[in-house]
Amino acid sequence: MPSIIETTALIETTALIETTALTKVYPGAVTALDSLTVTVGPGVTGLVGANGAGKSTLIKILLGLVPPTKGRAKVLGRDCQTSGETIRTLLGYMPEHDCLPPDVTATEFVTHLGRISGLPPTVAKERAAESLRHVGLHEERYRLIGTYSTGMKQRVKLAQALVGAPRLMLLDEPTNGLDPAGRTAMLELIGRIGSEFGISIVVASHLLGEIERICDHLVVIDGGRLLRADSITSFTQASQVLAVEVEEGLARLQAELAARGLPAVPDQGRTLLVPLGGDDTYDVVRDCVAALALPLCRLEQRRHQVEELFREQEVPHA
Amino acid sequence: MPETQVQSGAGGVIYDLGYRGYDGPRLGRAQIVRALTWHSFRSAFGIGRGVKGKVVPVLVLIALCLPALVNAFVVARGGQRLFGYDVYTPGLRVALVTIFIAAQAPELVSRDLRSRVLPLYFCRPLRRGDYPLAKYLALTGALLIVIEVPLLILYVGTIASARGGSAVWAQTRALIPGLGVGLMWAVLFAAIGLVLASLTGRRAYSTGIVAISCALTFFLSLLLIQAEGGTSATATGARVGGLFSPFTILDGVRVWLGGDPHTGLVADPGRYGPLYGVLAVLVLAACLGGLAARYRKVAQS
Repeated sequence: MPSIIETTALIETTALIETTALTKVYPGAVTALDSLTVTVGPGVTGLVGANGAGKSTLIKILLGLVPPTKGRAKVLGRDCQTSGETIRTLLGYMPEHDCLPPDVTATEFVTHLGRISGLPPTVAKERAAESLRHVGLHEERYRLIGTYSTGMKQRVKLAQALVGAPRLMLLDEPTNGLDPAGRTAMLELIGRIGSEFGISIVVASHLLGEIERICDHLVVIDGGRLLRADSITSFTQASQVLAVEVEEGLARLQAELAARGLPAVPDQGRTLLVPLGGDDTYDVVRDCVAALALPLCRLEQRRHQVEELFREQEVPHA
Repeated sequence: MPETQVQSGAGGVIYDLGYRGYDGPRLGRAQIVRALTWHSFRSAFGIGRGVKGKVVPVLVLIALCLPALVNAFVVARGGQRLFGYDVYTPGLRVALVTIFIAAQAPELVSRDLRSRVLPLYFCRPLRRGDYPLAKYLALTGALLIVIEVPLLILYVGTIASARGGSAVWAQTRALIPGLGVGLMWAVLFAAIGLVLASLTGRRAYSTGIVAISCALTFFLSLLLIQAEGGTSATATGARVGGLFSPFTILDGVRVWLGGDPHTGLVADPGRYGPLYGVLAVLVLAACLGGLAARYRKVAQS
């Protein structure tokens, strides 16, 4: 068992998760992960991909439950295959599917799992009560889980991941089955755990637009391969566009912009969307409009949601 | 870490300490397994469950203790001890142990399969084999209570009226092999119950599977022995008839190890005794192996 000082040092000095050419082929030649090399640092990281992209497989390998076919995975500086137990002491995991027994109270259940996380009896009791309070279950925690709404059950799942005082939490589709209000509340809660509690979080989701709100970083995988991994700011920068509205001559402007190397696409009405590279994009647009002597109505910077960047890639899986 | 002060009435102050981590000591794997074993042992008797969960274990225990209590009464009035320690009410014990494992083995394993709780165990610092190990130790312990407590009552009830040290010593010497037989039963039937119950998460099915397997094999062996001349017969058919059910296998082992051949469930196995011993070990190994394999698969899914 590592000392706390040692593990804290590990977190500060190394990436939280590191995979190198990680490949997992299930029997029947189903490739879930294909040479995935990615590094995840502190903060809230979104793990995004369509259903079947390999998110859950990656999480199981990180937990040391499934051995990779090839490649290596490290969590908190330790190898997942050889130090699974130590890693699991430091991780909190929230599975995607239902995993709660209906015939016990939330307090009993979370306390029991706290014990299994290695907490002494009294600490497990205290932390269970606190975890349930943090996720917003107060008096309800003495009720049987079977009587809970879906939203409350998701909160219990989050609380059991929190009870063992993890350094890193792996949350698999935490907003599954929730209504819009429930989703927002759950995301706020996760965001708060990441920012206020000082616990790093990996959130797997197939809904990019949803989790981009709370993430510092994004890792996008598709068909078991890494599509892109970057900070959320660089994603949103890349998604910035310039909306150019002219009263007439839309097609001529589009051709002129294309001739000058800007691939503009028509939006609704008389608007063209031009990818915003830098300040010189404004100059090019201005020059084109001036050269064609078009009546310019509006020149506006817009921010795309990150999701639109990947819409094309996600279509084949939808 | 946010620390906010909220002014409440009457000059009091509520501190919201926010989230606190935990840097204290953590239990090792062995202690976690022990915690899980204790938790499972308690639930084998319905402790921590509703009233419904306690009905079967309590009734089984009472029903098995009753003959021992009757014995205490009879011995106190000058009678002889009513039952042998090693074959304590054989038919009743077969029936009640079957009921106990059919009801409680699913309580220990099918529930977790049904509600898909297992990923929450395997994502914690346990190894794959630790979960079935804890469940096995818990059910073995529970069966020991159910089987041995009546024997101890039988013993205490008998020596309470015994005269002289030699009488007590004679009872003690008779008790020890009885406790040994009880241990064999607990060790084997915990394994059989768990491996059968872990086949499905549907409680009713797993109860049915355990009960029917135990009852059918038992009646098969009984029929074979009866057909070959009963428990006092010496024909080969009668001697090997007990090999088809775990209850009669263990009784064959008991006789082979020197138990009285005329009081139990099977005919004297004679030279087939070692076969009973080997088969008992094989059945146990197969059940434990099956249990481990079952959870290796579950842990990865």
